[in-house]
Formats: sequence, structure tokens, C-alpha cells
Amino acid sequence: MKQDFTIELSADNNFSVLNRIVNILNRRRVRIKKLMGFEDENDFRRGGVILLVHTTADLAEKCKLQLEKLIEVDEVKVHDGGTFYLELSERIVDVD
Amino acid sequence: MDALQTKVEPIQKTVGERIVLEKISGSEILLRSLIEEGVETIFGYPGGAIMPVYDALYHYADRLTHILVRHEQGAVHAAQGFARVSGKVGVALATSGPGATNLVTGLGDALIDSTPIVCITGQVFAHLLGTDAFQETDVVNTTIPVTKWNVQVTEAKDIASAVAKAFYIARTGRPGPVLVDITKNAQNEIIEASPYKKCEGIRTYRPKPLLQNSQVEDAARLINTATKPYILAGQGIILSGATDELIAFSEKTGIPVACTLLGLGGFPTNHPNYVGFLGMHGNYGPNVLTNDCDVLIGIGMRFDDRVTGNVNKYAKQAKVIHVDIDKAEINKIIQTQVAVHADAKEALNALIAKCNSNQHREWINRFRALNEIENEKIIQKEFNPSGPLVMAEVIHLLSEFTKGEAVIVTDVGQHQMTTSRYYQYKNPRTSITSGGAGTMGFALPAAMGAAYGAPSRQVVAVIGDGGYQMTIQELGTIMQYKIPVKILVLNNNFLGMVRQWQELFHGKRYSFTEMDNPDFVKIAEAYAIKANKVTRREDLAAAIEEMLDFKGPYFLEAVVGKEDNVFPMVPAGASVSDILLEAPQKI
Repeated sequence: MKQDFTIELSADNNFSVLNRIVNILNRRRVRIKKLMGFEDENDFRRGGVILLVHTTADLAEKCKLQLEKLIEVDEVKVHDGGTFYLELSERIVDVD
Repeated sequence: MDALQTKVEPIQKTVGERIVLEKISGSEILLRSLIEEGVETIFGYPGGAIMPVYDALYHYADRLTHILVRHEQGAVHAAQGFARVSGKVGVALATSGPGATNLVTGLGDALIDSTPIVCITGQVFAHLLGTDAFQETDVVNTTIPVTKWNVQVTEAKDIASAVAKAFYIARTGRPGPVLVDITKNAQNEIIEASPYKKCEGIRTYRPKPLLQNSQVEDAARLINTATKPYILAGQGIILSGATDELIAFSEKTGIPVACTLLGLGGFPTNHPNYVGFLGMHGNYGPNVLTNDCDVLIGIGMRFDDRVTGNVNKYAKQAKVIHVDIDKAEINKIIQTQVAVHADAKEALNALIAKCNSNQHREWINRFRALNEIENEKIIQKEFNPSGPLVMAEVIHLLSEFTKGEAVIVTDVGQHQMTTSRYYQYKNPRTSITSGGAGTMGFALPAAMGAAYGAPSRQVVAVIGDGGYQMTIQELGTIMQYKIPVKILVLNNNFLGMVRQWQELFHGKRYSFTEMDNPDFVKIAEAYAIKANKVTRREDLAAAIEEMLDFKGPYFLEAVVGKEDNVFPMVPAGASVSDILLEAPQKI
């Protein structure tokens, strides 16, 4: 059964890393409902992405493993639902 | 193909008490970086945006052998062939725009088949990026889905570190292709050269997982209590150099071993525990008994759909142990009971220590009994046919004459499956084929690369008439460099595998699969390659012997039956245990 998941991802802030992340989800036809990318406020070479996606738990887990394979990606966490997305995105906007 | 010196001259001079760094171009930094990475051979094709590198290459001809291919696809496949046969990173060089996009097929092929290559492309000047300049293509974004990693370099100071990172990423963990795109201004830029630093790690990249003892113990527990265990060996065995460990593990535990297409050569076909080739056109026993074993041990393989058939009917009775270096492969297709996330060699060494000595003779005999049915119904008929030549007898003779020890490079289609079935591979890195991508046109250039990667070994490209014509222009490369590959084209004047499917599943509607072919012998001779054509059975052995004995490149066309099929066959959507030994009665 499909539901919302929040994917929280930290990565080196290289050109094209966002494309790589989105490519993996697109290839699996995972629906991206919201997306926010950000640069680390203390180190512009690092950053992250949070995504609100709508998919199955199985596919969310498989995408997590494929995202972790990306060379620039440091860590990927998957949270059930969209609440965490809202909390994180508000926190990032507040910092900005 | 002589061994070349690989030393790079010192790049710093002492003036008085000062150390003065030598000033060189970005192009020269690139070439020195390649030499530092142990590169001796580059396959490439020049063009506008890579001209500074080619200009520098002119002065490095004593240290870097450049092979001028006839199309960039030839360069990338040659780099693949080089890498697959040698275990080293293959290198291809191309210009921007179409030169770069012509690499895409080979990059995709290398990604899915875990082949370590580094492709270097020229790019327009940095200030022209995004302006639709002449021969500008966004090659980084184009190749994201077909590379393990890629990067664009716009300043000379970043070239060496990008190359170091590229080689590290390409060869470590699950190997794969990397592309480095270098703008022309970076190639031209003159800077002070620094000593080359090899990449020894990347903060966010953990290529080799730590072997977990608990995973090994769980796997060993299942194996020690199994009555019908069964090993599926994939290319991970070859990539990790674990053939000896697999043999030792199989011999200690008595477990039968089957190989995937890319795993062929990873376990010797003449070993008593070898039970055959897996997959859609694999052997009968290994496919049928997948659905009878109690513990299925996949090592360095990815449960590709050509191996599993219908996953909903795949090994449902079995407990599955999956050993793989790539965590994303575990549970991707088949649900596993025990995952061993590790390098195959390390995992096998740990399993050898934990698993009990055992024998499973009755179980192995069941494979033998089923394979004997296949032998009677298919193999003996194919080895002793009447009428036109058949592919199987050609490959059978090739295997006998080379004692199963040649490097065999195949393309895609019926000849590929026939070769995989009948060539008796004895050693790792002797079967080079396009597995996951199924790239027609792969074999001829890949064989060229294999000849450079293994100069002391016999290299035979076995190709169908369709795939041969997709990269036939590489005969020019073979001619120019006198690359001693043997080219064996099995010509049925059809796109044979598609025709087979049309015959079996599309009511014999041969929709655009029949080919009127040129005179292949004349074409080869026009490239100054000795050539022969064989149509009669009584001439076949002598023709193959002449090809193998010839010093230098040789082309042999074997004209085979037009409408022969490859069996056994697991029809699309069927279970592996429903593998067909012959065409269904009602089509």
C-alpha cells in the first residue's frame, strides 16, 4: 500500500548530486510531492535534501539503499509520513 | 603491445635552495595522472574539444599507447574488454558532443556488468557551457544514469584529483564506469604541477563492507543443516578473485555450483561439482532444481530476470542466502533469509571456516540425471547434426581445439547463448560478453581491448551476422594495429534470437529480422585481414584450426542453418522449472 514517506538525505554539495537523487526516484517511478535542497550553513561543500514521496514501504526501502550507493551521499533516513518533512523544512527555512 | 615504461619524470627542480615546480598544461597533467594510475593503453578518437589532450599525447607516445578506434562506441567497448580480461581499469578518450554521447551505450553496459572503466571526454570552453556551443552536450547529466560516478572539471588544478578519484571509484567496491569531462580551457591552462596523489578514500563512499560474523554464522547454520543446498555463482566471484575459495567451499561442503552468464569461468566447467549454466537458455538441471533445493546460495550475483524467470514462482521452497558486496542488490529481486553483505572472497573464506565437511552426492546426481536428458534430447543432436552447419557444433569444436582456455568474447543473441552453453570455460576472465545490457556490437571492439589486456592469450570473438555489422568498422582498427583477434561470425542471415521468439511466440511472423548480408570475406580482405568462409561440415574443423593457428587477425564466417533455435528455453513469464527442451507443439 502506498503512503507518504519523508526521505532525509545528507550529501556532499557537488554539482549534479540533486539530479542523481531525483533520477533514482524517477527511474522507480516514485512520486515526489515536495522537495527541498539546502546547503550546510557552516560548510558550503556539504548539504542535503529532504523529499516527501508517495510510495510503498518496500520501494522506499529499496530506494534508500540505492540512494546510499551514490558516491556523494553520506546518509539516508526514511521516516513514515509527511510530518517530519514539514518540521525539517520549517527548520531549514527558519535558519535561512 | 610491449610493456611500456610507466615512470613519470620528476616535476620539481631545485634552483639554488628553492624548489621550483614545473609548469605544465592541464592536458599533460591528465596524461601524467593516467600514467601514475598504471595506464598503458588508451582507446580513443580525437575531436575539437579534446585536441589539447591529443596534442600532449603526441609527446607521450613512448609511455601511453593510444589505439585509434573507428567510432567512440568502439573505444568504450574496447576499454570494457581490456578491463574484463585484465582486472585493470580500462580507459577511453573522446571529444565533446557526439563523441561523448557515442560512449553512452558502453557506459550503460559497463554499469550493469560492473566493469571498471574511466572515460575521459573533452568539453567546450567553460565560458561556453550552457550556450549551445558547437559540439556542446551536457554529458555529465546525460551520463548520470549510466555511470557509477561522473564529474566535470573546468580548471587544470582539479584534473589530477578528479582522475585519482575516478580510478578509485571505478575499481573499488562493486566496480563500474566513471566519466571525467574536462573543458578545453582546463586542458590548455598552464599551472604548476604538484606530485600526484592517489585517492585512498572518499568520506561518503564506503566501497568494502565489513564482514559481519553474525551473518556468516547464520548462513553457515543454514548450510550445515541443508540437504539440498545449491550455489549460484555470479561475476562477483571473478571480480573478487574468489575462484579458488569457491572451489574450496564447494569441495568442503559438497555443494553443487551453477554459473550465471557473467559468472562463467568463475568455477571450472570440468569440476565434478559443476552442474551447469543458469538462465533462460541455460542447462536443464540447474534451472529445474532451483525450484527443488532447500537452501539457495547466491554469491556475487543479482538474481537477474534472465536467471529467475517468473520471480513469483522462483525458489519458493528454498531459504535464500545472498552474498553480495552491493547492499542494494540484497532483497532487490528475491527475498533473502540471510544476507551476507560482503566481498565474495572474504565471505567464502569465512564460510569455509564455519561450514562442516559434507557430501551431497545424491543431490548432485539429480542434476546429472536431468542434464543427461538435455544431453540426449538436445546436445547430442546438435553435436551430430545433418543438413546445414549448426552453431553448437562450431562452438564445440572451438572449445575442443582451444581446450577451453581461450578468451571468448561474444556479442548478443543466439550465438552468445550457444557459446555460453557449449564452450567449456576453465578459468576466470575468459568469458567476456555483454550480459545485463545485451549490447549488439559489443564483441568486435571488446575483443580488441581483450587482446591488449591479455596479450599472451588467444582471443576469439564469436559474433552473429547482425551484431557484427553494428561495429564492423573496427576492422579498420584491427588492420591498423594488426590486433591478433580471431573473428568467428556465425551467419544465419537472420537476427536469430528475435526470429526465434517470432517463431515461438509471434506466430512465425518474421517481422524485419531477415538480413541480406554483404560478402563478409571480401570486406575482411579489403581490410587486409585473412579471411575464410565455411559452409560444409567436412571443412569445419580444418577451417577453425587454420583460424586458430594463424599469427595475426583472422576472419572466419561459418554459415549456419537459418532457422535453428537455441534450446532449452525458459519462455518469458514462465518459471525456471518450466524450461522447455523443445518448441511447444502448439504455437
